[in-house]
Amino acid sequence: MVLPALLIILVVAFFPVVSSIWLSLHQATVTNTGAFVGLENYVEMFQNDDFVEGLSNTVIFTVVSVGLEFVIGLAIALAINRAFRGRGLVRAAVLVPWAFPTVISAVMWRLMFQDQVGIINYVANALGIISQPILSDRTLLLIAAILVDVWKTTPFMALLLLAGLQVIPGDVYEAAKVDGANVLQRFFSITLPLLKPAILVAVLFRTLDAYRVYDLFWAMSNRELESLSTFVYKAVRVSQLLFAQGNAAAVFVFVTSFLIALLFIKGFGMQTSAGD
Amino acid sequence: MTERRRAEKAGGVLRRRLGRREFLRLGGASLAGAALLGVAACGGGGGGPQRAEDGSILFNFSFGPDPSGTLQELVKRFNERYAGEYKANWREMPAQTEQYFDRLRTQFQAGGGDIALIGGDVIWPAQFAANGWIADLSERFPESERDKFLEGPIEANTYEGKIYGVPWFTDAGMLYYRKDLLEESGFSEPPKTWEELKEMALRIKQDSGVKFGFVFQGADYEGGVVDGLEYIWTHGGEVLDPQDSTRVVIDSPESVAGLKTERSMIEEGVAPEAVVNYAEMESHTAFLNGDAVFMRNWPYVYALSSDPKQSKIKPEQIDIARLPAAEGQESVSGLGGWNFYINAAMDEETQNAAWEFVQFATAPEQQKFRALEGSFLPTLKELYEDQEILDRVPVIALGKEAILSTRPRPVSPYYSDMSLKMAEQFNASLKGEVSPEEAIGTLQEELQNIVDQGG
Repeated sequence: MVLPALLIILVVAFFPVVSSIWLSLHQATVTNTGAFVGLENYVEMFQNDDFVEGLSNTVIFTVVSVGLEFVIGLAIALAINRAFRGRGLVRAAVLVPWAFPTVISAVMWRLMFQDQVGIINYVANALGIISQPILSDRTLLLIAAILVDVWKTTPFMALLLLAGLQVIPGDVYEAAKVDGANVLQRFFSITLPLLKPAILVAVLFRTLDAYRVYDLFWAMSNRELESLSTFVYKAVRVSQLLFAQGNAAAVFVFVTSFLIALLFIKGFGMQTSAGD
Repeated sequence: MTERRRAEKAGGVLRRRLGRREFLRLGGASLAGAALLGVAACGGGGGGPQRAEDGSILFNFSFGPDPSGTLQELVKRFNERYAGEYKANWREMPAQTEQYFDRLRTQFQAGGGDIALIGGDVIWPAQFAANGWIADLSERFPESERDKFLEGPIEANTYEGKIYGVPWFTDAGMLYYRKDLLEESGFSEPPKTWEELKEMALRIKQDSGVKFGFVFQGADYEGGVVDGLEYIWTHGGEVLDPQDSTRVVIDSPESVAGLKTERSMIEEGVAPEAVVNYAEMESHTAFLNGDAVFMRNWPYVYALSSDPKQSKIKPEQIDIARLPAAEGQESVSGLGGWNFYINAAMDEETQNAAWEFVQFATAPEQQKFRALEGSFLPTLKELYEDQEILDRVPVIALGKEAILSTRPRPVSPYYSDMSLKMAEQFNASLKGEVSPEEAIGTLQEELQNIVDQGG
């Protein structure tokens, strides 16, 4: 019974992957597979400034935004985990930014950063924090993109962590209290260890999402900010000559995403199913 | 019983009789079969022409959405006039040029697709032609006919000496200016040189308190490439050798001077610093808001100025001129516009049908109709003498000089790669991240690489 399902999965999921890997080892053009060149495309890819810029932007973006989202998300989760009046409403309200399609929120924020009508640009200028238009500087753009991502996906992180918090039985805390553990001790020796599975799931999801960032960058920066995914798009769909490198970059994104997931599962001892 | 219900019922019977295992097996087989069929169907164009119910030859025509409604009318007129012979079917494509291009490219890669006639951007023909995707029209469209069209668009459709497209409507970079403000400051004429533009802009800024002197498109994208090229051309520079298109000649003092002038707009306070990420919309917003004295933009802006919702200034306050040039150089405008291409994979009869449509749509009568009703700039020279058009479409009358002095972007099958590099370097030079000399030097090397790889 497993065979047909496996076959369909193989055809649908793995054929494109294998085909991309195969293609990335050739001097491929848009219309032609071309000659076999081994790893040459990968070597050239790492020598391409645009790719290197995309890679470094992606790594910075992923590490910083997921880090901030985790800290803030955990704080929010702890805050709304307690029983208080209107808790349901607050929980729903927290989720609002997450419900916006990424492109919409990116364009919305772009307008706020813009020099003619943008409120943030105006305030930052008035306070003397910046001297030039935000959208014209790539470092500022990257910071802005991180802020927008934090604004948008922290609620998702908080929600996942909240779910984790709710399965921690209350009597564990009571026992700790009786033993005289203070708030910090309770947090570090009960909450964090027991929350670990939820944390790993949440952080892994967000890391993989951030690592593949595409729409947020392009909509916010009007295609100026490079990430790994935008590089793949430009190389495969816009350029005529970078097709082979684009394929290699696509494979690179796939393989590294896979490695990140592997690191979480093996390295941090994440449980992949209840049975483990 | 309807078709669908019958099918559902049959499916239900089939599933019950087969049992789960057989059903899955069959499903898998039909999935594979469908995939094969899909591949085969993509081949297209192999047999004879497709026919409509009345026996006329049916062909697909692709183009983006047309808010003016004139294209629907054009297709209707064609189908009425050629009823029983030919029938055009308009397949609407994405409004965004890149997405539209992507769609066509996917079709061609899959083996030609079923679109016989393409309304396409002026930067596409070289790439399509180099891949053998669009038909060589040299015989159908002889020199004597080409002479009736504007030179810029004809040049843009010519690749390796052959013509691949027929110009349908055109577009040109223009200098918009505030007639009223110029008069208030005592200027009776628009600037002829970039130096004059800067002086006038600064004077008028001071006199009137307007925020910006000059706005244009400086962002890292295709529009930024056109603007950068205009600065280079109006200083006498070139990207490719006009005699030998495999030689990149951008590295010249003229090109450097062009980028220097562009950068000086920011340095001397003529243009806002944020112009480095202005596209068309940001520029026209500033200008129609009354915040700028001068603007470089396409003809479409003029129509917006008569809409009070979009514009705080009135059409009477605006005039249009050719772009300024450096001292002693000629004014040149970047060429935009759309053309007709015929899919080379279609059978002969369908191509003939498509060609009938091209002739019909580019004839004076139809071009005039589209100019009057939709403000589309005609591509036939004679229509620029047509008094009715000049009277009723002011932007054509005002911008005539600019329209008649356009130049296409480099015609190369690897234009998209060249464009990415130019966009990047022009933008970096405008921002002051690299000097104009460095930007031009880098481009000389990178563009030559691209041209060489293209072979």
